[in-house]
Amino acid sequence: MLNRPAHEQRAASPAMTDERYLDVVAVRKSFKGVTVMDGMNFRVARGELVSLLGPSGCGKTTLLRIVAGLMQADDGSVILAGRNISSLPPHKRNISVVFQNYALFPHLSVAENVAFGLRARGMSKADAVQPVREALALVRMQDFADRSIGGLSGGQQQRIAVARALVVRPDLLLLDEPFSALDRKLRETMQVELKSLLRDRGITGIFVTHDQEEAMGVSDRIAVMNAGRIEQFADPSTLYASPATPFVMDFVGLSTRLSGRVTGQEGARVVVETALGTLRAPGGLATGTPVLIGVRPELIRLEGGAGMNRVDLVLEDVAILGSKTMLQGRPDGGDRLLCELAGIRNGKARGDAISFHWAVEDTLIYDASAEVTT
Amino acid sequence: MTATRADRIGLLVLPGLAYLGLIYALPLFLLLLKSFRDATGAFSVAEFVQIFGDPLQRSIMARTLRVAFLVTLLALVIAWPTAIVMRRAKGGWLSLFLVAMILPMSLGVVVKAFAWSILFRTNGFINQAMMALGLTDAPVRLLFTETALVIGAANVFLPFMVLPIYAVLQQQDPNLPDAAATLGAGPYQRFFKVILPLALPGVVAGCAFVFSMAVSMYVIPSLIIGERQQTVAMQIARSFLFLRNEQLGSSLSTILLLIAVSVVLGSSWLAARLGARQ
Repeated sequence: MLNRPAHEQRAASPAMTDERYLDVVAVRKSFKGVTVMDGMNFRVARGELVSLLGPSGCGKTTLLRIVAGLMQADDGSVILAGRNISSLPPHKRNISVVFQNYALFPHLSVAENVAFGLRARGMSKADAVQPVREALALVRMQDFADRSIGGLSGGQQQRIAVARALVVRPDLLLLDEPFSALDRKLRETMQVELKSLLRDRGITGIFVTHDQEEAMGVSDRIAVMNAGRIEQFADPSTLYASPATPFVMDFVGLSTRLSGRVTGQEGARVVVETALGTLRAPGGLATGTPVLIGVRPELIRLEGGAGMNRVDLVLEDVAILGSKTMLQGRPDGGDRLLCELAGIRNGKARGDAISFHWAVEDTLIYDASAEVTT
Repeated sequence: MTATRADRIGLLVLPGLAYLGLIYALPLFLLLLKSFRDATGAFSVAEFVQIFGDPLQRSIMARTLRVAFLVTLLALVIAWPTAIVMRRAKGGWLSLFLVAMILPMSLGVVVKAFAWSILFRTNGFINQAMMALGLTDAPVRLLFTETALVIGAANVFLPFMVLPIYAVLQQQDPNLPDAAATLGAGPYQRFFKVILPLALPGVVAGCAFVFSMAVSMYVIPSLIIGERQQTVAMQIARSFLFLRNEQLGSSLSTILLLIAVSVVLGSSWLAARLGARQ
């Protein structure tokens, strides 16, 4: 175990522990010789709602289980509110978890499920009645106290799981894909509900999810994970507007994506040669560097002026998405051409020859020589 | 009125019902009837009064119940950890466990009983091992004892305990103990508040299987302890085959049947109650 020196812990000021409320330091984990997490650092402030976002197998659930104590890290430490909890078993951490399948106890009633944590902490049945009632009222399930778990819908089960997790006043709430079992409409309602519930009570919460819309909807900051690393940890708008890596660009939102090579510099810009013509992007990469160009689809216009980037293409697909239209060009290799237009009446059809225009400042550019993942 | 499809499908149960009725229920009923009659054919409970008044019969019944209870207990103690391990086993290991459970059932009890006699003999493997370890100075008499009977019978009935427990454990959501842990429940509470209550229907079913088989077993005690320590089932056989006392035999059968039926009914009531909320 990599333990932090005791003096460092004592020196931490209240402001410091607020900023580093949860501090995951240099955590390593491997399964059967395969390293899945190699020196993970992760920090959450008090009262913050954070998402761990990434594809399956990226290590987000592993990180959650290590924080909860359901899994032991091979190395590194987990500090919560200035206390090193690395070697504590899960039942001594005061960290609640809402499981993906809710994991409600089928042999207990709704009220007994919610009371479980209080009873496990030695509270008498009589003393638990009031807090259980309050917790059920919080999730608007007070009329279901005596029901059995089997008869509840998915949304109701999730509410009970949240009530059960909150009634013990946890220091930290972890939610493992809490909405994935719900249908889309209900999911959106539950997200708003849960977010304001946690916010009102000042709960520090970590959501684990593979759904970028969900992550953007519920969290203050999002840690985008890939292959056991955090690629970028930022607020949703930064993540979308300035993705740090092509992985983040692709995982969070859609984008037009072209590969090319730097052929020269013009002040604070570089000139990039692609299969669809010459483009300009901000930055100072050296001539000859293979690069990846990205543009968010809603920043692309069909008309443009001088000094803007422009590619000419033939429309491959026009998708009407309700309030918007997605125009897709003919892809070439790993390239992608996407333009999002507001509204659905724009008279464009498959086979039309059109041009995409966007501002040089809106161009994202990545060094593709270092990039291994797609 | 035409019969619905569901009604007609219900007819499929008829051959089975007819078979059970003719081969099982009818003769059993006749046997039971006989136990409530005296030699002249009049209704009488005299035979039961006599059985319960006979110290020898009482001690045989007590032994039968004691052995069945101990067999059930021993099987449960061995089966629980086995089922836990099987629940965590995957692929090839799981198949191995299942084969290990089922294969011995295909081996006749006679073969097993003679194999055990090699173990239990005065100069058998167990005695040699115990003496080598210094647990005992002189060989302990194992063969023809109740201890040997309990050990042997528990071995024969073990699969009937393991499989129902494995079945309920396997259906258990593996997140439940984790959920309990994050809610502050230590290993003890997780076991007694979550894992065990959810597994109880399987435990009850396994105990009912093993107890009802152990209380009525005939071949195993005949082979392991022989005539010198009788059980109720052996008494029944003796009264029909050697004593030619059909009243005694059928009355003992009735007693045994009542024990078995009450165990089965009691346990299914218990299992239904325990499982009601799941």
